[in-house]
Amino acid sequence: MQRRDLVKLTAAAALAASLTAPALAQGKDKVILMLNWYTYSEHAPLYLGKEKGFFEAEGIDLDIQEGRGSAVTVQAVAAGSATFGYVDVPTMIKAAAKGAPVKAVGVALQTSAMSVMGFSEKNIKTPKDIVGKTVAMTPGDSMSQIWPLFLKKTGLQETQFKTVSGDAQTKLNAVINGQADLLLGYVMDQNIKLQDAAHKPVTTIRFADHGVNLISSGIVANKDTLSSKADLVKRFLRATTKAMEEAEKNPEAAVDATLKAQPKSGQRDTMLVGLKLTTALYHTDDTKSLRPLRVSMKNVNESLDLLVQYGGMDPATRGKPEDWVTLEYLP
Amino acid sequence: MNMNAKRLITSPALRPLWLVVMLIVLWDVFIRLFKIPPYLIPNPLSVAKQLVAEWPMLWRETLPTLYATLAGFALSALVGVPIAMWIAYSRLVESFVYPLLVFSQSIPKVAIAPLFVVWFGFGLVPKVIAAFLLGFFPVVVATVQGFKSVEGDVIDLARSMGANPLKIFLKFRLPHALPAIFSGLKVSVTLAVVGAVVGEFVGSNSGLGYVLQKANGTFDLPLMFAALVILSMIGVLLFLVLELIERWLMPWHASQRHDLAATA
Repeated sequence: MQRRDLVKLTAAAALAASLTAPALAQGKDKVILMLNWYTYSEHAPLYLGKEKGFFEAEGIDLDIQEGRGSAVTVQAVAAGSATFGYVDVPTMIKAAAKGAPVKAVGVALQTSAMSVMGFSEKNIKTPKDIVGKTVAMTPGDSMSQIWPLFLKKTGLQETQFKTVSGDAQTKLNAVINGQADLLLGYVMDQNIKLQDAAHKPVTTIRFADHGVNLISSGIVANKDTLSSKADLVKRFLRATTKAMEEAEKNPEAAVDATLKAQPKSGQRDTMLVGLKLTTALYHTDDTKSLRPLRVSMKNVNESLDLLVQYGGMDPATRGKPEDWVTLEYLP
Repeated sequence: MNMNAKRLITSPALRPLWLVVMLIVLWDVFIRLFKIPPYLIPNPLSVAKQLVAEWPMLWRETLPTLYATLAGFALSALVGVPIAMWIAYSRLVESFVYPLLVFSQSIPKVAIAPLFVVWFGFGLVPKVIAAFLLGFFPVVVATVQGFKSVEGDVIDLARSMGANPLKIFLKFRLPHALPAIFSGLKVSVTLAVVGAVVGEFVGSNSGLGYVLQKANGTFDLPLMFAALVILSMIGVLLFLVLELIERWLMPWHASQRHDLAATA
């Protein structure tokens, strides 16, 4: 056979192979779930679900991608680069109010995960202790936007403490090096990272304990996906709910699954602490007897009020809770 | 249309303006044609509106970025040119230092910028260092090239006429290297702007980088684009200033000759 013919034959074979390969994986829908950030304890249930085959059983080939902030992930879902996003739902609501075609299909953390934290040795245990200290925050992120509400609820003034701004890594460095006393973070994310890095205990002051009743992370999808792939959404949420329940019962397995998929995402014992702090936020009093993700619309309504008052949401776009969150795809 | 108006409209100074106008029109048409939603790309009118509405705040935040850019650029020039001269004069220094410089250039500044904040605290210093590190390399490379390209024959001639080393440097080497140095400085100043913004992303509560972060976090894309427009304008203006200085320092150079052709 001539060299030219051999090349043509090889090319044809390669083309045929590439066309049949997806056919072999057929029967499963390819789904991209983009997280709000790099992997940390809060995401363990998702990795557990993937490892235990919950998503596969629903005919879903799940690809979990790490994100770079809820705002970016919401934009990715709006643009169609990710099928689902695991993001801060108030951030999604603000984007949707500006026209992004996204909607939340379930709220995982129904109590706010936001907190202000520092090393326990600094003895900052109540909001009053923040006076005279230095607080590190990231401009534009969800916590810095809700911080003014926390200040109002606790009676603190911006002039009573010093603020330094930096990106996520700089915030952590600042507290570890003593350039700042406190930082704004999630109760199961930065405090774990601080403990892992400095081997010192961390005290967190939760926003939720001081009247900031804002829903937190949840699953969001593009409105197109909801209308054209309703069955896929239902299957995905069925698997996710099962994964979250399994993580509540068996946190060790969830942590192990996460570390297997992302070995650098944390230490086993502290990630376990973080996961338990996470699952504690899965319900409010209204939803104690319900399965995870099924938030109460009253809760969403309160969050909308807070967003309009302090979160910079235009009151004209407030709408009703049902405009932003739907429970119809939940099992 | 009379000759004066026509000459004004087609003059070289105004041509970039027409290009910008054309680009803005294309931008608007593109958005309308492809029905691009405002949370992905804002239309020019909303950006202009935000630019005007938020001008006091934007101007206030432009100053820290400008200071960091200028300081970083000044450092790049003041440190880069002497080092480059040293490299150009000594084969030994070149063989030790140059590869190290190239190696350091490949280190992503975004990754090490948090360390600057750890070492130097929150403030202007980390931003200046970030701007300096980004703007330093083009100055060195161009200056080395400039000093190395002086013809040996010219220097021999000068020496044979009895010129001392200082005179040779001031009258022959430096003027010969100036065009290359300026081209390096012009690239460097635009990179210094980037460096200042990177420094602000990492650790600052003032400056246009700070505005960019806040605008993106609240999905205020018109404001984000308005800040980007200002940043680009800073780069353009600094570039023009360097062009003017270059023209003043090197009136004899070939690159200035185009003016004669245009007015002839």
